Amino acid sequence: MTERPWCELGGLRTDNTKYPARASIEGVGIVVLKTKSGLRGVQRSCPHMQGTMMNAELVANDTMVRCPLHVFTFRLSDGKGVNCPGFKVTIYEIKEEDGKFFGRVAN
Amino acid sequence: MNSASEALVLKGGHVLDAEQGIDGIADVHVADGKIVHVGPRNAAPDATIIDVSGSYVSAGWIDIHVHAYGTLGFANPDTVGVYQGVTSFVDAGGPGIGVLDQFMELLGHLETSLYAGAFIRPMGLLGLNFIEGDVRTLGEVPITRWVDFAREHRDMLRYIKCNAIGDYGPGTLKLTKGLAQILGLPLYMHIGEFQLQNPEFLLAPEAFRIAESGDMITHLYHGNLGKVIDEKGKVLPVVREAERRGVIFDLGFGGYNFSWKVAETAFAQDLVPHTISSDLQQFNVVRPVKSLANVMSAMIRLGLTLPQVIERVTRNPAKAISLTDRAGSLKPGMPADITVFRVNSGEFELFDCYTQSRKAEKQIEPLITFKNGKRFDADMAMGQEESNWFLQIAEDHVPERAGALSAAQRQFLSSLAARLSSTSWEVSNAERLDIGKALELQDIFHRERAAQGLRLKDALQAVYASFLDQPFTMQIGLLLVRLEQPFAIGRLSDVSGQRHLAA
Repeated sequence: MTERPWCELGGLRTDNTKYPARASIEGVGIVVLKTKSGLRGVQRSCPHMQGTMMNAELVANDTMVRCPLHVFTFRLSDGKGVNCPGFKVTIYEIKEEDGKFFGRVAN
Repeated sequence: MNSASEALVLKGGHVLDAEQGIDGIADVHVADGKIVHVGPRNAAPDATIIDVSGSYVSAGWIDIHVHAYGTLGFANPDTVGVYQGVTSFVDAGGPGIGVLDQFMELLGHLETSLYAGAFIRPMGLLGLNFIEGDVRTLGEVPITRWVDFAREHRDMLRYIKCNAIGDYGPGTLKLTKGLAQILGLPLYMHIGEFQLQNPEFLLAPEAFRIAESGDMITHLYHGNLGKVIDEKGKVLPVVREAERRGVIFDLGFGGYNFSWKVAETAFAQDLVPHTISSDLQQFNVVRPVKSLANVMSAMIRLGLTLPQVIERVTRNPAKAISLTDRAGSLKPGMPADITVFRVNSGEFELFDCYTQSRKAEKQIEPLITFKNGKRFDADMAMGQEESNWFLQIAEDHVPERAGALSAAQRQFLSSLAARLSSTSWEVSNAERLDIGKALELQDIFHRERAAQGLRLKDALQAVYASFLDQPFTMQIGLLLVRLEQPFAIGRLSDVSGQRHLAA
């Protein structure tokens, strides 16, 4: 399987960016989260009732993200709904290189 | 902690009991788990005196709409019961006829009196992850089983529930009404379309047309499709007509079902719920519902007086679900189900389900609950603990409690794993649920259990302990169909042989 290419993120700055932060990748809006193991991206809104992931909470030692509207909780590894089987979010790997941010779909 | 048989006097509290017309300072005398007297009287010599001056005292609160069982339920339903001032509650739709046996086995140990508001669908409510309004998920409605169950367990059943949502017209509502009539129970209908964007049929008005005197409609102040007010904010005539016929309106706050705007607009036109219920479940206990007390505080903020609010969690729900022989008042001879609470003054913020909030000056806080005379001190935080509502499959480890399973339970799991290998299933997605497969897996579970001669409760606990760290309860077919088949079979085999546990 060919590896997905990294794409430069829009809307994210390397200096004093506060997380979670809005960004875009190839025109798609995402939210970038700062976890204990680095940056991780997630789709902009919860697939349940479209709550904004800007208000999402990191839980389970930063391995899951939880929408505050109805506590739908997703794994940051693969986007799978933990307490909401059947629901899924798109997760993005994020890296910083030479003062620029890059991302790609992780799941 | 007071035992149920101890004599008690709750001294100096402000008693609110609509049934007896009491609204003032009075002592409440209790003995042998029952109310003996309300008013001045010398305490029995051995009685424990509890000073509750400065607090209010009412009959134990009744919440006719919670989710204790199933995909929406809690690990410990008492956390939203006796530990929050509620002495009786009804599971609103968690079980249907296909799982009422499981429901009774698993929840019989609660301190809070639990009743079933059984769902028309044999499997009960499916949870937020699947389309509840899809009429095909109803499957069969086995009248014989319903009638037989109701004959044997009449006391457990308090109403028959259906959802007035989906895109198949009012047939489901009429079907459920028919079943309720056969069983001699009230019909309880959810209104408010929260899953479909543009349904062809709007079923909320149909619910108001179909409901008869004594039937109940919940989510009165919801803000979804099918509100009780029109675009100009006027209460719909069909709602008024139902009210005149004696249809009972229930609040059902919930995670989607209470809008400050709708509530204020309707309340200004004197459209008021007869019963106040929470709709507490996994997905709304952290916010916005929190507790029945929080919902009651919202009703105070809306404009109801304290006695009106208390009547709506005591006498009115007791009447609505025919529980007046044992709950809803402090009449002598009644079980000593009592809630002691206070009304705090300050500045509070009360949220609806749509990010709107209102500043409030009053907040109702339960302090002590007595259930049949047994004392429970309020703990409002326990219900919100993650372990109580975060239902996740233990994918990367075998739950510790699996280690306590008996040899017979492990043997059952081994046989079940083998039997489940003879079928195949795929995990459902958010839009579809293979309910037929869920029923098939459940049938396999029951057949294997019967073949092994294992008690239902032991068989259920064996499967739950294989996958869940916390003691959640849910429809066994739904639990299995939510699991990847190789994982499910592998885990059952592992637990049956205790391979992981030995590590």
